[in-house]
Amino acid sequence: MRREDRERAQIEAATRVVDRIVARAKTSDELEEVLSDTLYWERQRLDRERKDKKRIKQDVAFYQELGRKLRHASEPDLRDYLDRVARRFAGEIVGSFDDRVYRMSTTAVPAILSVMLRATTPDRLRSLSGMRRGLSDHVEVQGAVDRVKRLGKLGTMIVVPTHSSHLDSLVLGYAVHLLGMPPLLYGAGLNLFENPIMSFFMNNLGAYRVDRKKKDALYKDVLKEYATVALELGYDNLFFPGGTRSRSGVVEQHLKRGLLGTGVQAFVNNLRAGRDKPNLYVAPCTISYKLVLEAETLIEDYLKEVGKSRYIIEDDEFSRPRRVLEFMKELVSLDARVVVTFAEPLDLFGNPVDDAGQSLDPRGRVVDPKSYVMVDGEPKHDRQRDAEYTNELSREIAAAFLRHNVAMSTHVVGLAASRLLTRKNPDVDRYRLLRTGGISPCFSLSEISGEIDHLVKTLAELPSGPRLGPEIAGQPADGILEDALKAYGCYHLHPALQRRGDRIFHEDRNLLLYYGNRLRGYDLGRALGAN
Amino acid sequence: MGTKRDETIGVVGAGSWGTTLAVVACEHGTKTLLHCRKEEVAKELNETRLNQTYLPDIRLPSNLEATADLQRVAETCQFILFVVPSHGFRATARVLGGYVTGQHIVVHATKGIEQGTHKRMSEVLREETCLRKIGVLSGPNLARELAQHHPTGTLVASAYDEVFARAHAALHTDYFRVYGGRDVVGAEVAGAFKNIVALAAGVAAGLKLGENTKALLLTRGLSEMARFGVSMGGELMTFGGMAGMGDLIATCSSPLSRNHQVGARLAAGESLAKIQSEMQMVAEGVKTTRAVHEYAREKGLDLPIVAAVHRLLYEGGDVPTLLRDLMSIPTGREFVALSAN
Repeated sequence: MRREDRERAQIEAATRVVDRIVARAKTSDELEEVLSDTLYWERQRLDRERKDKKRIKQDVAFYQELGRKLRHASEPDLRDYLDRVARRFAGEIVGSFDDRVYRMSTTAVPAILSVMLRATTPDRLRSLSGMRRGLSDHVEVQGAVDRVKRLGKLGTMIVVPTHSSHLDSLVLGYAVHLLGMPPLLYGAGLNLFENPIMSFFMNNLGAYRVDRKKKDALYKDVLKEYATVALELGYDNLFFPGGTRSRSGVVEQHLKRGLLGTGVQAFVNNLRAGRDKPNLYVAPCTISYKLVLEAETLIEDYLKEVGKSRYIIEDDEFSRPRRVLEFMKELVSLDARVVVTFAEPLDLFGNPVDDAGQSLDPRGRVVDPKSYVMVDGEPKHDRQRDAEYTNELSREIAAAFLRHNVAMSTHVVGLAASRLLTRKNPDVDRYRLLRTGGISPCFSLSEISGEIDHLVKTLAELPSGPRLGPEIAGQPADGILEDALKAYGCYHLHPALQRRGDRIFHEDRNLLLYYGNRLRGYDLGRALGAN
Repeated sequence: MGTKRDETIGVVGAGSWGTTLAVVACEHGTKTLLHCRKEEVAKELNETRLNQTYLPDIRLPSNLEATADLQRVAETCQFILFVVPSHGFRATARVLGGYVTGQHIVVHATKGIEQGTHKRMSEVLREETCLRKIGVLSGPNLARELAQHHPTGTLVASAYDEVFARAHAALHTDYFRVYGGRDVVGAEVAGAFKNIVALAAGVAAGLKLGENTKALLLTRGLSEMARFGVSMGGELMTFGGMAGMGDLIATCSSPLSRNHQVGARLAAGESLAKIQSEMQMVAEGVKTTRAVHEYAREKGLDLPIVAAVHRLLYEGGDVPTLLRDLMSIPTGREFVALSAN
């Protein structure tokens, strides 16, 4: 974001939120209630933080002072405090993004990765040019790329990808750069800014700060308003609608609608302001990894926390530089591809959009998107209506995720092995089976090949996805298995499956579950037949 | 957000129910455009002020205008009641889709499930148009009773508050109470499913089996309806409300109900083909039985009343067999836990 826009967005976001609260409040007590609520949640957060950090010390001092002053505050005082808190939040959120630095950084990403990897990389990739080629060879961008690029020029783009890894924002930033599209603005967790490897990228690749530990409504409102203003200013945004990384490995189907909903807000504001290019377009995309950097921690967290609320993982593979380096090495030196697949773009109401940027109904007739927000001839906000529009949009995004998910060998073999395990151990409960492996530590080559074959044929016949990766489509089961075994064996601490002679040993069943989960959500159980 | 006095309301479908709803809206003081498929029917309605075929006893108010021009309806009316039988629903929705915008509000009042696709009517509207503000109207609403101002109520379910507000403003009167809800799936499933139970209840009535039998059919039918509805994503409470139990009681008790009439005539030994050829109006339950039965089989749901009615209508079954089938359904606990599929 340009410097002048950054300041504008910061002030605009805080002012709009405060104005709304003041307009809604009937008495000064209601203003005090908002501030007290913020104070309560911030104190709760600060109690759990490390007190030696400079940022935390400043926060503690700020809220102590606010607590003292709040007791004797007049109505104008309350407005002033509200404004100060909102501006403070907006200031924290706004990143130090600069598009000149961005351009330089994106070009430098492959080179920087190369420096990081030099010590462990095979000779053939040692040169910088070799490394650059290596990375672009392994990040593949496909799907409705041309349309996404075209629409990016006609309006503001909201890119909504699946989320498996902290690498996603880097991969997508790189993909967008490869396509020659403008940089994406996106909210990244504070923990990433504190991560030794990621902080460089986060600070320079368009990220603004999202503190997931801040629970109060005022902070969330300022955050959403900042995203709204950024969209109105024409900055393309990246939202992860799944919220956090998919813990279980499944393609996200229950999407969070908070940030996504800012699209309709920005659209109405654009219409009211009479802006030249009021339209916003939504580009769902999937990021499919053959190997996921944080797979072991994510699935472990999922299994531990099933049915309970998630915690924020701060110590995963991503915070261990050596693991990231190992992963990067595999990414470029082996066949561990990352595929970014863009689905057909949508408007904010879930309609498909053509090359000219026109919304279409299910029969291909042109629809005016303005008509969805017009009331008595004027574009108007309606909270309940707009939330429901966002629900409709998120259903379309979820369906696009399933259609454009790319099935890779690790996913197919993971699911085949998990299904075999369950079938061979019908009386063992899921967790015990994952822990012990059941009655036998291995499968015969023929039984797992048969399962893979059955699975691939069934997947190919599914009417709505997934896409089959090139190592799957038309390949024999043995080849798919071999490809997956190679991938499983090259990065994770324990290979998920290992071949010894004609037997295939299941070594890490959690990983098998994780990778296989990528193909859940297609009602495969019914398609494969009850067995 | 309510309907303005100078606004014109559209009603698509000039059968007995569509015409009745148009009359209610007119009596509420709103101008109403009633869409008929055929130009000559529209002309006849405008000239005679009577819908001789479907609602012969009711004089059409002066602020009701019949038209065969669907485009005009869409261009004139932002709020449209869509009351087209399920077999013609998709085709008409597709045509309407050429004229509506995102601003339109369409509430359908069709109690059926599409043959072959097993889609609910709101899903069909969504597939054929750009509409988002869609609602469903369903309740204990026998057209003739409502047209005679006998007090009743109905449910308008929609994900959009605005849809209920507009429907309420257009239709709520001192004899027609309009309630709101969010459970579109539940309301649609209940409205469709009760017609199947009404067929069975019609058979029981035709055989003069008495009130106990009717009560047994209604309560077990309600239980089956709720099981089916929850599996499709509906909310359990909806089935105890007006679109569920309310409509079930009205439809299964009244000889005015078409589905009830079909059941009673089957009990009297008439063939389905003969009954259908002689009825001017559509008995949705006949088609819904097939759609629900197929869907249940696909999803592995056990719906014994539906299966028994299906055997009677489509598998060469007869009335004594239907009774035997119904009375031989295994019993266990009356209530079982329900869950969505």
